[in-house]
Amino acid sequence: MKEDRHAIEVEDLVVAYGDKVVLDRVSFSVRPGEIFVILGGSGSGKTTLLRTLVGLMRPRSGRIAIHGQNLTAMSDEQQMEIRRKIGMCFQGAALLGSLSVADNVALPLREHTRLEESTIDIMTRIKLELVGLGGAGELLPSELSGGMRKRAGIARAMAMDPEIIFYDEPSAGLDPIVAAGIDELIRNLRSTFSLTSVVVTHEMESVRLIADRVCMLHRGRVAGIGTLAELEGSDDPYIRDFLTRRPAESDADETEWARSLTAVD
Amino acid sequence: MIVVVGRLGRWALRQLGAVLGVSVLIVETVYWLTVAPLKGRGFRWRSAVEHFVEYGVRSLPIVGMICFLIGVIIALQASYTLDRWGANRFIADLVAVSALRELAPLMTAILIAGRCGSAITAEIGTMKVNEELDALTVMGVHPVKYLAAPKLLAMATAVPSVTVIAMLIMIVGGWVSSVLVVGVEPEIYLAQTTGAIVEKDLVTGMVKSLFFGLVICLVGVYRGFRVDGGAEGVGRETTASVVVAIFLIIVVDLVFTVLFYYL
Repeated sequence: MKEDRHAIEVEDLVVAYGDKVVLDRVSFSVRPGEIFVILGGSGSGKTTLLRTLVGLMRPRSGRIAIHGQNLTAMSDEQQMEIRRKIGMCFQGAALLGSLSVADNVALPLREHTRLEESTIDIMTRIKLELVGLGGAGELLPSELSGGMRKRAGIARAMAMDPEIIFYDEPSAGLDPIVAAGIDELIRNLRSTFSLTSVVVTHEMESVRLIADRVCMLHRGRVAGIGTLAELEGSDDPYIRDFLTRRPAESDADETEWARSLTAVD
Repeated sequence: MIVVVGRLGRWALRQLGAVLGVSVLIVETVYWLTVAPLKGRGFRWRSAVEHFVEYGVRSLPIVGMICFLIGVIIALQASYTLDRWGANRFIADLVAVSALRELAPLMTAILIAGRCGSAITAEIGTMKVNEELDALTVMGVHPVKYLAAPKLLAMATAVPSVTVIAMLIMIVGGWVSSVLVVGVEPEIYLAQTTGAIVEKDLVTGMVKSLFFGLVICLVGVYRGFRVDGGAEGVGRETTASVVVAIFLIIVVDLVFTVLFYYL
């Protein structure tokens, strides 16, 4: 089957808030088991792209297929089924503040399976062990450091043994050592479970460490897709500026773009 | 003139939007409360029980205290008028009828709206700001199932339960001040009270309080889901939640009073 070659396929995706088009005919595909990085500056639409991929936003047009199943043609009910096979780590981890770390990880299991409480307990421990939080199960999210919270978020995303995992800015707001630890965790999870990973980030250090392929977004459009080496060899001035961390040639242009996105009707 | 019409129009559109939003919420909550459990999609009984304890049991001290005092006060105030005709024994009738029909359901609902309606909005609003609602959705857990349905069941049972106790305490309050201050004979007070209590008053009081509970919960949840723009948004919606809930409680009260006694 041809579809099986891609874990995720996105075709001509258009997403808009009102009449402001945030993503304009975005197309790419993610291969099973690879770490696919969506790279872009602020306002490039990368977070919107991620939210659309996991079903939190509805696209205006275009097609998203996960393992060959067209998500955009599905009812909410069917989408809920698909969502159980994907995991998502939010930028701020988004752990439920009223539950302990272990209960957070156990939540999807309790909601979607009929497993015995003792089995859920063991599975929760395994997932926490996996992300290096073996002893932290009884703590509340507010008692964790930023890095530990991200790890707990990853453990929760892994709870249902997903085939695809999405990370929203996994290393944002962390110190370099902790961030490198998260990058290593992302790589380890991929190699252990051949987990298809989609990472949204703007941190070049982390891209160099983890990315198999990179999709560069600029102003809601795909500026380039390929390995980091391929992108570094690109002649697109924006890609080269971004990768070498140079200020954009015409700064006024960027301000204009930001204004067009935030303008009040 | 055009400005006024424009403002009115925008206000009407906003209200219409709110009505639509609340209707969608009601349909979804009722689905997750009735249809979904039958289809084997689960209901969070433990959460409902926990919330019942929070809304009901933990509200009892403050509701009891206030209703006792109100009972005391009505008896004292009533005696001011009734004493002139030597009709102090009818204080008992007045306290019983007003407690059952009006004051106990109303005071209970207003206190629980202030205590718990605000807490519901703050909880859900904070969760929205922290992306916790998005996290639930991505995990395939419907936020209405997880948050709204158990709360609605808890509120719909807690408010009537507390109301019954409040009715009783208010009558006790009236008895205490009538007997100790006004000087009504205890037995006469009791006889008057039992004579004044009609089944219909009890039933209408309970029906009202059930709807008060639904109003408190739905307003709280709706305002929580509506939160936008960080901590400030949580504060704004939390305040609005209490004010709107109390306003709607009074409106519902009026509607039921007309329905029960004037139609």
